[in-house]
Amino acid sequence: MGTFSFSFSTLVCSSHQSQKGTHKHGHELEEEQEELAEHQPLEQEDLNFEKWKRKPLPKRTLYQTIDSVKTYLWNAETKEFMGRTGKSWSLILLFYSALYLFLAAMFGGCMCCLMWSISPYHPTFNDRVMPPGMTMAPHLDGHDIAFNASDRKSWKKYARSMDEYLKPYNDGVQERKNIHCSQEKYFMQDHLEETLERKACQFKRSWLGECSGLQDPHYGYSLGKPCVFLRMNRILGYLPGQGKAINVTCGVKKGNPEALGEVEFFPKSLFDLKYYPYYGKLRHVNYSAPVVAVRFAGVQYDAHIYVQCKLNGKGIINDSPTDRYLGAISFTLDIGA
Amino acid sequence: MVEGEETNFPLNARDCLYLDWSHNNGHLCRPLQDDHEITIEELEMRYDTSIKKGLTSSFASQVLERDGPNALRPPKGTPEYVKFARQLAGGLQCLMWVAASICFIAFGIELARGNLASFDNLYLAITLISVVVVTGCFGYYQEFKSTNIIASFKNLVPQQALVIRDGQKNQINAIDLVVGDLVEIKGGDRVPADIRVIFAQGCKVDNSSLTGESEPQSKTPECTHENPLETRNIAFFSTTCLEGVANGIVINTGDRTIIGRIASLASGVGNEKTPIAIEIEHFVDIIASLAIAFGFTFFVVAMFIGYEFLEAMIFFMAIVVAYVPEGLLATVTVCLSLTAKRLARKNCVVKNLEAVETLGSTSVICSDKTGTLTQNRMTVAHLWFDNHVHAADTTEDQSGQSFDQSSETWRALARIAGLCNRAVFRPDQEGLPRLVVGDASETALLKFTELTIGNIMVYRDRFNKVVEVPFNSTNKFQLSVHELEDPMDLRYLLVMKGAPERILERCSTILIKGQELPLDEHLKESFLTAQMDLGGLGERVLGFCYVYLNEKEFPRGYKFDSDEMNFTTSDLCFAGLISMIDPPRATVPDAVMKCRTAGIRVVMVTGDHPITARAIAANVGIISEGSETVEDIAIRKRIPVEQVNKSDARACVINGGQLKDMSSEDLDEALRSHPEMVFARTSPQQKLIIVESCQRLGSIVAVTGDGVNDSPALKKADIGIAMGIAGSDAAKNAADMILLDDNFASIVTGVEQGRLIFDNLKKSIAYTLTKNIPELTPYLIYITVSVPLPLGCITILFIELATDIVISLAYEKAESDIMNLKPRNPRRDRLVNEALAAYSYFQIGAIQSFAGFTDYFTAMAQEGWYPLMCVGLRAHWENVHLQDMQDSYGQEWTFGQRLYQQYTCYTVFFVSIEICQISDVLIRKTRRLSVFQQGNKVLVSAIVFQLLLGNLLCYCPGMPNIFNFMPIRVQWWFVPVPYGILIFVYDEIRKLGVRRNPGSNTFVIVDNHPPPLPLVFLVAGCDLKHKEKVSAFFHESLFCFSRYFTSTPH
Repeated sequence: MGTFSFSFSTLVCSSHQSQKGTHKHGHELEEEQEELAEHQPLEQEDLNFEKWKRKPLPKRTLYQTIDSVKTYLWNAETKEFMGRTGKSWSLILLFYSALYLFLAAMFGGCMCCLMWSISPYHPTFNDRVMPPGMTMAPHLDGHDIAFNASDRKSWKKYARSMDEYLKPYNDGVQERKNIHCSQEKYFMQDHLEETLERKACQFKRSWLGECSGLQDPHYGYSLGKPCVFLRMNRILGYLPGQGKAINVTCGVKKGNPEALGEVEFFPKSLFDLKYYPYYGKLRHVNYSAPVVAVRFAGVQYDAHIYVQCKLNGKGIINDSPTDRYLGAISFTLDIGA
Repeated sequence: MVEGEETNFPLNARDCLYLDWSHNNGHLCRPLQDDHEITIEELEMRYDTSIKKGLTSSFASQVLERDGPNALRPPKGTPEYVKFARQLAGGLQCLMWVAASICFIAFGIELARGNLASFDNLYLAITLISVVVVTGCFGYYQEFKSTNIIASFKNLVPQQALVIRDGQKNQINAIDLVVGDLVEIKGGDRVPADIRVIFAQGCKVDNSSLTGESEPQSKTPECTHENPLETRNIAFFSTTCLEGVANGIVINTGDRTIIGRIASLASGVGNEKTPIAIEIEHFVDIIASLAIAFGFTFFVVAMFIGYEFLEAMIFFMAIVVAYVPEGLLATVTVCLSLTAKRLARKNCVVKNLEAVETLGSTSVICSDKTGTLTQNRMTVAHLWFDNHVHAADTTEDQSGQSFDQSSETWRALARIAGLCNRAVFRPDQEGLPRLVVGDASETALLKFTELTIGNIMVYRDRFNKVVEVPFNSTNKFQLSVHELEDPMDLRYLLVMKGAPERILERCSTILIKGQELPLDEHLKESFLTAQMDLGGLGERVLGFCYVYLNEKEFPRGYKFDSDEMNFTTSDLCFAGLISMIDPPRATVPDAVMKCRTAGIRVVMVTGDHPITARAIAANVGIISEGSETVEDIAIRKRIPVEQVNKSDARACVINGGQLKDMSSEDLDEALRSHPEMVFARTSPQQKLIIVESCQRLGSIVAVTGDGVNDSPALKKADIGIAMGIAGSDAAKNAADMILLDDNFASIVTGVEQGRLIFDNLKKSIAYTLTKNIPELTPYLIYITVSVPLPLGCITILFIELATDIVISLAYEKAESDIMNLKPRNPRRDRLVNEALAAYSYFQIGAIQSFAGFTDYFTAMAQEGWYPLMCVGLRAHWENVHLQDMQDSYGQEWTFGQRLYQQYTCYTVFFVSIEICQISDVLIRKTRRLSVFQQGNKVLVSAIVFQLLLGNLLCYCPGMPNIFNFMPIRVQWWFVPVPYGILIFVYDEIRKLGVRRNPGSNTFVIVDNHPPPLPLVFLVAGCDLKHKEKVSAFFHESLFCFSRYFTSTPH
């Protein structure tokens, strides 16, 4: 049975040991080896499984936690607030003020450069505002017109809103401020000096006929034949229609097309070229955007009619899926007797 | 989980250990385990068995039904859904959940109030949840995969046991064994259960998997000790029978065996949090408190300005959500799993993703010796013959130098080694390494002779063995008598090996260069020196001698009697010494050296003898050249051990016996005062104590091990590393990482990767944090100054999730010094510290915000909205009914047009952040080297990719309505460039400061080793100790600044 459970010489052999006799030395060695090779008994402790389990960490009490937070906030010994002395904090503050001052100056410089680089008379780009949107009056909370012709209260608000809308177009104001234009083409004033104010063409309220509110101060609401005003959004330098005036059409968006009946336009269903281009509010101070008044003379009563008025012309988008007010406007008519 | 495991053991295990030993009646403890003490008859009674016929098959199957199979139940598998849920509940994940629920609440409030402007909050919530879930799946998949790899180790061949039932010998699967079975074991078998030995013949058992002790224990039928663990008549489950045969009755099976108890209780040792988990929690704390502080401030501000309470509440929640770094979770997970993958290619399988980083933080490695540092096979290391020591080749692949084999003496020595040897190769083996039956030193000799003189089995057949005297402890030698191969030569050859001094005693002559010379004092002296030298190397030394028996005295047919020894056993001829050792693996010394340079202590913890342990430790460099122990110094100075100043001794060897008498303070002190530690003869419990002591000293401890006895220590360690080949299942279950090739050098690779990941995570986080500020400020400005919203949440998500991760992936290779630095101090070197956060947030982040706003106002102004007009514009701007809102030029905008303009702003803000982040990633690349000093192609391509992605988002048709990106004007890409340059210059100056003042740490922000005094680039100069340095630095930086500015068009 030949396992040699032994034979380890040992390191711990000092010089005096080796001076001893060979035999004795050999014997000693052997004893030492015996000891080394001796079976290491398993201790009861080795199998004390309790010890192998994780000891829970001592939990800090709430009081200690609060105390350490307090010390962190204000350490009276070192006079430190949140781990720093007053000097340290003020240096931090100083550094940051310097840094942010520099950044603010740089930002300010950039803004100056920016403002210096852009003209006050015309925007650098106008691609986002093109093509024009369309707005209407009356415009209260929404674009729904619902009233009873016989019920004054139900349409009074519309009439008042229209009054407000037309104020700048009063004939007197227009005659005083603007010139009379008769040409049928764009009113170009590019050759003038840049800073000079541009002239604007008159657009008189009286041209709106039955929708002018002059003959009928209720704009046809009392008769159940309401008027609405349409305007095209102003865009600086924009030449709508590329030489051919934009026209306006109104129709039923969904439902019976007959329900709308006859539709009249004042002064006509066109936005005349002479009102364009717009030169911006700085130079075109008295600019009056042309209005197209639409009168629904034969509208069916007690029906909820979806009406859509559109601009038609070159360069106009009136069917954008994302922006319902681009070149078109939708509203409902709900008229009772 | 810990509690759950505990309930598996209804009674305190300590109480039960000696009580509930056999445990065949469920959970009740029987008073005192005495299976080893009772007589065989009582034993038969107790288990209804017979020592002749064994159990009856029918009864055995009943018992099997009652007790269950004889196998270690794998640690109670966590249900898969719990594992998955755990992946969803980390620190960052919780943050994201909170953010997502806040989004839902905000969405709910808006919905309830009826002014639902957009579904952004809903989208955001969904995105947050999907990020958590997707990364969770990632982590789960990783865990699943490594579990599979581990599962594939499990021995596919079921263990067999030779059992006697109904008086018949049967081979059955060991898992079908039951209590009371009569089994037979023989050399080479694994003991199939805990067995009371009733008959044994030369049976020796290797208990190392239980105790870590490599010395074989003999097993006999006598009860030698009242302690069942000590008595010789019990053999333990899963230990290996080395030689001899034994019969026994099974007394415990499966989890009730002692090994089973250790294995299952080890899994009850709680898992500590991984360092990276702690770091991430710390980071989440910072983020959460900052978010709440910011949110609350602006809540108050909003209320003060006059917003409604609910609106202010939504602002509050939005700010909190905006603070959540959505991309970080994905970045961390991807970084970790990429590294895990890389490690897997280098034969390290990581069970838990976070463990990848743990190795990088490791400051102490407690390494087992056998099998990890060494090859785990006895190998002939040295020979002494012809009065010279010859070194044998101990490399794994026999690539080393061999010694001169021309001497006649060598031939004689080899013949003795080959003949006087009972080890045999297992028959019918293909390929290498061939398995050998026999004890370790005989195996070593067999392999050695096989390599040097050829086929030893055939050789032995030529020398017919006549008689043999096996080793016993009184003789301490082994001999055999052989016929000679030459049929004409009728002499017998007696060969003998054994303890050198015992062999020498029997010799009168010695073979020198083939000549038999008388053994004089001089030669004896030189023999002794050789023996001492070899012994001092920790090697096991054997002496060899032979004699040709006198033909007349011992003619052919002489009756040799092995008991009487009726033949010459003295006046032999001494041939030489052969010494053996389990040699270190070739790669280990280099790996230990690398660990040392990396500041990692390698502590050897072994069950082996102190001398061997020390020799191997010195060999692989754990104890460095010239290091002395206290004892060495005492001997050198010739003073008593007590007088030696302990701090003079670098090295220290402590054996289990000494350790037993040390208090934990003593152990801590020893670990503190001696940098080079070797623990020998340690028990499993002591391994655990050592690990705990290291942890008490603040180290992050890695433990390597393979045996069941290591499993508690593996579990206790911050990272347990099990051996893939030699490791037991229990060890693999307890470990976090498995070395498939059992190679210590792989650990070094792991450390490097772990450190790299920490560095890179730090860089990534610094990078990720930075843009949190430019993401947040638009919202703050939106609230306070009421400008149209400059940055939308979908855009933020794109910054976080698309561009960010791409950049983070392109992380750096190790900076060249990564393995020359000390391991990070877990208490001090945080993943995110104040300095890092402050620098990222309040400096770089602030610059980026300014860049974003510059670009924002530029885009607004050029489209017709002057900066000052933007202020206070919000209410009108967001009015859905206002279709003719006038800009600074009197142009009228519809709501839709304004919305697209707003998207344009989002896009320019996005572009600004992206441009600044390019600059940011360049500065984050290196901790202190200038960016020009380190190139990175991956990074460049990542930047290009990021730009391409930005362009795609901007200019791909359809983007405006899907992701709110507008095609922006080319010049707006360049607006933020000056700020990008500013960031770059600013940081280069900081790094210049770091390099110029390596000691001061004033400028160190992203470093493995930030100073205890953090947050200071911002307070450059506050550290008055460095006053001169700082002022010098400012001069230099001013100079640099001016140079940068004159060379860059601004």
